[in-house]
Amino acid sequence: MDLIVRLSDWLYLLCNGLAGRSWLVDTLISLPLDNALVKAGPVGACFVYAWWSGGGEADTRHRRSILLVTVASLLFVLAATKTIADGHFQPRPFVHAQQAWHLEDGKLIETEKLAYRESLNGGVSNRYRALKRGEIERNDLGSFPSDHAGFFVALSLGIFLASRRAGAVALAWTGIAILLPRIVTGMHSPLDIAAGAGIGAAVLLAVQLVARRARSWALDPLAGWTLRHEGLAAALVFFVAFESTNVLTNVRDLAGTGEEIVSHVAGR
Amino acid sequence: MSRGAETMRRSALFALALALAGCGKLDQEAMVLTVEPGWAAEIAAGGKDGFASPDGLHWAGGTLYVADEGGSAVRAWKPGTRPALLAGSEAGLASPEDLVRDSAGNLYFTDDTRGGLWRTDGAGRTTALVEPGRGLPSTEGLGLSPSGDLVVGDAPGHRVLKVTRDGSVSVLLGPERRIAKPESFAFDDAGNLYIADNRDNVLYRLTTNGALHRTIADRPGFSPESLLFAGGALFITDSDNGKLFRYTPDDGLTVVAIFGGTLANVQGVAADEKGALYISVQSDLKGRKGYILKLSRKDPSNRAHDRQAVGRALAPAPRRLGANLKEKAQRREGTT
Repeated sequence: MDLIVRLSDWLYLLCNGLAGRSWLVDTLISLPLDNALVKAGPVGACFVYAWWSGGGEADTRHRRSILLVTVASLLFVLAATKTIADGHFQPRPFVHAQQAWHLEDGKLIETEKLAYRESLNGGVSNRYRALKRGEIERNDLGSFPSDHAGFFVALSLGIFLASRRAGAVALAWTGIAILLPRIVTGMHSPLDIAAGAGIGAAVLLAVQLVARRARSWALDPLAGWTLRHEGLAAALVFFVAFESTNVLTNVRDLAGTGEEIVSHVAGR
Repeated sequence: MSRGAETMRRSALFALALALAGCGKLDQEAMVLTVEPGWAAEIAAGGKDGFASPDGLHWAGGTLYVADEGGSAVRAWKPGTRPALLAGSEAGLASPEDLVRDSAGNLYFTDDTRGGLWRTDGAGRTTALVEPGRGLPSTEGLGLSPSGDLVVGDAPGHRVLKVTRDGSVSVLLGPERRIAKPESFAFDDAGNLYIADNRDNVLYRLTTNGALHRTIADRPGFSPESLLFAGGALFITDSDNGKLFRYTPDDGLTVVAIFGGTLANVQGVAADEKGALYISVQSDLKGRKGYILKLSRKDPSNRAHDRQAVGRALAPAPRRLGANLKEKAQRREGTT
């Protein structure tokens, strides 16, 4: 296990070594982190492509079945990453670069600082400076596992299962534009990313596997419905593509508001 | 099983193994990050020392008095020894919340489940100074005023009450002052009363002439839990955000330390004679798990047992020194 940790730290230091050398490079690297369109727009576009690019009705129906299950699996992926994150605490690399103590066997041990090169531009740089002033949210200290890795690997892999061409583009974009900058800027360690990606892939494939049993009585009719009601299906795809750009943040906010409304109405 | 399904199954297992390998790496369940330089953190006491899930803290005469909410007990602890039980559930305690000790050696504490105001005298007898039935079904913050009266937070009634040593109760601040939950109190050197409202996330200051100010309000990432005035500054724990703040009118609000993971739920705060800060943490109240952390200055020159040394130990680095000099000059000129 130590070997994996050392490998992760070595990879992190290698990637983070790119930061803080060029304003232009840092700006470009930070772009997918700060701009939802750049981050997830191409993945959303791949999803839309896979949805409509079937060779015939049977192929389209098959692709849409996979994509519908993929969308459902994203909720499980986020639930899984959040559950694991609640039970395990691992500071972000740029948090790990501060003077800190960690709990080990009931004792606080001074943490060996991790080297960190600050980006010359971008949102992470602002967050790092805010951290130095102590202005960081409690739930922003930890980074394990990466929910972005889980979400986008699951989504891209689902697209890949439906359409190899679109999926390859989505996976490449996820790796290069979404996940790599998170390591370079010190938002996540390679281990955070690997664990998140592993959870995303495992949950997606497990849900796809289970969903195959429901193909005849649920998936095929549902996919057929999308073919018969292309207008409504297009609206659904719009929502999916839109929400994929912000990791279901709006859906989660909406769920929170719904909970507040229920509490308010119930007088609690 | 088809070839595709078999491939998918194997891939899922591999991905899961990768994720679990990552989870297995974790050996850090919590951290303390010192934003202000010069502090060192340690676990002063925990479950193995006899504490369950501590809340309010009070330091007096080399002893830390602990409202052990999770253990339904009030304990006295001299560092390096086992804590002594001063009062427990047999005396009627349910969730002791905050506590203070007077110069006569009486310990007073609130109970947010049982309510009322309780006193354990020097002989170890625990009695209700104010019975819960006298309109105090849940009590929160507790402070000892310079005149010797007690101030008690009544959360359900949204009031701050004044209680004399003989148990007479009067309303200091009624619900019309809109303090949602008076969770903690601290008097400064001038006799002003600071009040932490951790429901509306406001720090109030009640001046000696009765004016109530919203000193810190509507500030994102700030929810005051417990207050301590020491060394010329107000120390504020924030359980919602896992932080320890320092506040002075000159320097404003600054972060001393951030607490993450299972140490994030910081509760009470007390300071010893050397300027070290003790902070209680409720890692799991229902599971009766918690800690008492100690933050002390690394600089050994702050070891003297005098008031000025406490001020030096608790003051921030050079910027604070300048502010101290300015304050001293103002005091000499009578302009504060």
